[in-house]
Amino acid sequence: MSVLETFAHITFEPIPIPTKLPEIPEMGAFVFFSGIVRNVNEGKKVTHLEYEAYVPMANETIRRILSDAKEKWDLLHVDCTHRLGKLNISEIAVTVEVGSMHRAEAYAANRYIIDRVKHEVPIWKKEFYSDGSSEWSQGCSHEAEH
Amino acid sequence: MVVQILFFAAMKDYFPSQDRLELSESTNVRSLRETLAERKPEASSLLSLSRFAVNQTVVNDDHILQEGVVIAVLPPSSGG
Repeated sequence: MSVLETFAHITFEPIPIPTKLPEIPEMGAFVFFSGIVRNVNEGKKVTHLEYEAYVPMANETIRRILSDAKEKWDLLHVDCTHRLGKLNISEIAVTVEVGSMHRAEAYAANRYIIDRVKHEVPIWKKEFYSDGSSEWSQGCSHEAEH
Repeated sequence: MVVQILFFAAMKDYFPSQDRLELSESTNVRSLRETLAERKPEASSLLSLSRFAVNQTVVNDDHILQEGVVIAVLPPSSGG
């Protein structure tokens, strides 16, 4: 086994909801998004999911997306974490945090980050259904062009 | 020349997760995509939707592959 590497934006552990805001005196707005495992997709009852990733590339792609967001908006805080492995219904799969002086850029940057994370980061979801079958999520065909 | 290739997610239904490929010099991504589709015709529609990364950077179909690179075949992302 190689030495265990750690990746700032990827985890196999449950992602906590932040209970404390970053201590930044200039920060007037903080937007927190969480993507949650739900029990149904396209009419099929989902029992749980498994996420896998090309981990080093996924971590680096998220880092670059956060850096691009900081160039586009005047942000005081950004972070994004994606969980891998087996996740049950109502568990958190991904979080995005943005802090800024005003709410407009915090909302816009948070939306920009999660949209790019979903389309570009090499992470894949396998859905397990109540009838015992399972399937890799197809994504959308247009996502291949991003 | 020899390259390493990694397959992820639904691609693993058709290919091993890691493999080594012998390619002729100055093969580009487009012809690698075609070679893989010939090898596994049932994977061809997923191959046509997939992105290719070389040493962890997404490249286009004209990209020329070099000896020793690590190629990753990335089906459409479905994180989030």
